[in-house]
Amino acid sequence: MADSPPPTLSEDDRLRFQRDALPLLDPLYGAALRMTRNPADAEDLVQETMLRAYRSFDRFEAGTNLKAWLFRILTNAYINVYRKRQREPQKVSTDQAEDFDLYQELRNHDSHFEETPESIVLDALVDSDILEAIDDLPEQFRLAVVLSDIEGFSYAEMAEIMDVPMGTVMSRLHRGRKALQKRLWDLARERGIVKGTLDERSKGPRGPDRVDEATR
Amino acid sequence: MKEECQRALERVYLFLDGELLSSEERVEIRAHLEACRPCFERYGLEEVVTGLVARLRHAHRCPEHVRVRITSLLQ
Repeated sequence: MADSPPPTLSEDDRLRFQRDALPLLDPLYGAALRMTRNPADAEDLVQETMLRAYRSFDRFEAGTNLKAWLFRILTNAYINVYRKRQREPQKVSTDQAEDFDLYQELRNHDSHFEETPESIVLDALVDSDILEAIDDLPEQFRLAVVLSDIEGFSYAEMAEIMDVPMGTVMSRLHRGRKALQKRLWDLARERGIVKGTLDERSKGPRGPDRVDEATR
Repeated sequence: MKEECQRALERVYLFLDGELLSSEERVEIRAHLEACRPCFERYGLEEVVTGLVARLRHAHRCPEHVRVRITSLLQ
């Protein structure tokens, strides 16, 4: 699939591609992994993306947003090739998540919430929990959350990448974030983070992969 | 919920994402968040959750063998 030989770009374009596009392999791979949820497929998807991008690089307008352009190719490649193989997760129904209110859940659960503005519950979740919760989201919502909250794309860039109107971007992002909050809350319950007294929880689990506050 | 709160919360994601709001609207929301504790707490919670997701930005690096393979395919 990815093995058709790349065409000859001008020497300038070839160097420009190597200089500007190759450094974006890390974010492309990270997003591919969230899309496919499988390292082998993510590797293939990134390779396919880079070859497609290389083949059409003469059509990329210099000075415009290369990262958004590559992510659009990544998204298209994923939809065309990989999505057919994927099975959708059923853990999160976005219908239920629509009305989910994490703020209210935390308040109902914990009358001391007022005194703990940065909730202890969320602090106890480690990066692997967050990844798991994202991977459980339905595809369209997962993609919106990844593009916005991991990759930092604007709504306008996301509309380009996902090829949908801006209103659709906003609605998917909103619903994706709500569904993610619901999933995190469920995970916190499954992990036993949400139980017992506040004092017990404040001494609660702190995984070794917990990222330092400084990176927030 | 008060109408003023409703109005602020409808746009809290836009505010959080730095999107699509006029400077007047931003001033209006900021003033409401400063004055209204429940809305401020809700906003804080949204900020915490998006912050948890944002720190995954550097969670993965492209494996070296993939980088090498792609580089060699582009020769």
